[in-house]
Amino acid sequence: MVNSVIAGLTSGGGYALLGLCVVLTYRLVAVVNFAMTAVGAMGAFIMVSLTDKGWNVWAALVVGALSAALLSGLLGAALVRWFAGHRERTKAAVTVALFVALSAIGLRLFGGNSTGAHRFPNPFGDPVFTVGSVVVPQSVLVSLAFALLITLAVGLLLTRTRIGLKLQALSERPSTAEVVGIPAPRLAVGVWAGVGAITMLVIVLVAPRLGGDFGALSGLISTALAVAMVGAFRSLPLTLAGGLILGCLEGMSSSVDSIQKYQGVVPFLVILVLLWWRSRREVWDTAHSR
Amino acid sequence: MTVPALALEGVGVDRAEVPVIHDVTLDAAPGAVTVILGANGAGKTTLMDGIAGLAKVRSGTIRLDGTPIEKLATFRRARAGLGYVEQARTTFRTLTVEQNLLVSQSGDGDLGTVYKLFPELDKRRNLQAGYLSGGEQQMVVLGRALVTAPKVVLIDEMSLGLAPLVVRRLMTTVGELASMGIAVVLIEQFANLALAAGDHAHVLRKGGVVFSGPCSELRGDDERLHRLYFGGPPLTTPGPSTGPVPGGGATPDAPRNGPQESERP
Repeated sequence: MVNSVIAGLTSGGGYALLGLCVVLTYRLVAVVNFAMTAVGAMGAFIMVSLTDKGWNVWAALVVGALSAALLSGLLGAALVRWFAGHRERTKAAVTVALFVALSAIGLRLFGGNSTGAHRFPNPFGDPVFTVGSVVVPQSVLVSLAFALLITLAVGLLLTRTRIGLKLQALSERPSTAEVVGIPAPRLAVGVWAGVGAITMLVIVLVAPRLGGDFGALSGLISTALAVAMVGAFRSLPLTLAGGLILGCLEGMSSSVDSIQKYQGVVPFLVILVLLWWRSRREVWDTAHSR
Repeated sequence: MTVPALALEGVGVDRAEVPVIHDVTLDAAPGAVTVILGANGAGKTTLMDGIAGLAKVRSGTIRLDGTPIEKLATFRRARAGLGYVEQARTTFRTLTVEQNLLVSQSGDGDLGTVYKLFPELDKRRNLQAGYLSGGEQQMVVLGRALVTAPKVVLIDEMSLGLAPLVVRRLMTTVGELASMGIAVVLIEQFANLALAAGDHAHVLRKGGVVFSGPCSELRGDDERLHRLYFGGPPLTTPGPSTGPVPGGGATPDAPRNGPQESERP
């Protein structure tokens, strides 16, 4: 079981990063982006299509990341252009529609398990070290380091740089930010593009473990939302912790035969428990404010 | 002839596709305070939002230092030298006082000038703006407009919900901004307070200008102001120029002459 939990950390680091991307998009441009993983999967599959054609992995990775950034930036620009004044739920609904459209297009272009899934390169599959019977693969360390690095970098960017402060101002009062000369549309599109590129890299990292099916990878949005809920769509450290916990839970469930087939339900259980827990507090507050 | 810092010519502004402002022509000179008065719903804030780029300009031309800006995005108008102090103390609450100023700073904008103008802020530069008093928050918003190195500053109802003492303190700042050569356009609920601080006045009614002239023409003339605001017959019992308009409680839109103690937050 310990081996499974350790292996689960590889996905956990990835889930944490996906959750962070959801939180960042929500905090900075006030959109719950359901299309995020579908965009990342598009970039990842562009990369793997290029490696299948004999491209160098790193060159293909750069092209894939740029494609995801471009696609995400275009979606962001469309939302800024046509839905800037709309409510959060309207923007979320738009991203749900985009998720459905991108999933259909992705399955058509790249195929799924039934039509032949792609094989993602796994450069970090070798074990780093073994403690007793527990094998720690490279991917665990890479995934955790990447998650920590991005969390720290984003934290520093937001609090220590002029552009980070402008992003915070934009998230708090978008129209006032423009009034004081902050180029809000441009910054928002930048956030979308950055999130697109990071999502693509995360999907490339977790794909060797989860399989090369477009539907399964774009469906990671449910996991990302569960992780973001742990951080209440606000806290970066809690989101990081949430991702790691979810990865471990998933690893644990995969080691028990009787519950292994229900592994995909873990994110939904986490969402349900968190919704129940938070509503319980609201009910308590309401009861005591009477 | 001096080019006005801000000149509006036949400007029409929409709010949510509904025409609110019609054919407004006015200008604001550098180093002067231009007052815009009118009853609630006359379109004062919509006009300001139109100038700043937050509401759609349907027709006409808005020139900033002679350059048309009505087609520019909001942030480009700010960068061109248009400062806007919005209604309701719009600080970035999670940022500190200094960070609020830093995100707005551009060109020759200097934080030192702001701290000199508002020594209160200097002592609280590392405090989150959300923890400041109402008056201090308004100072942050004024300071934020100042660090954009503006040619024109639009100020919309900065006295809203503030104590009389604070309002007077802020009003002296308006004069100081003008003395720096900035054209100040002021919307204010306390008509006579604004007229005392202003050089030129425009009165809006139903989205159009019904009076343009020197502030001295309206100062203390409550009856005329009332007529300009509502277009109806004059008040039967004119109030003294230093006190509230009688019946003001019954007609909340009536021009108000000065901050009263009941205005405390």
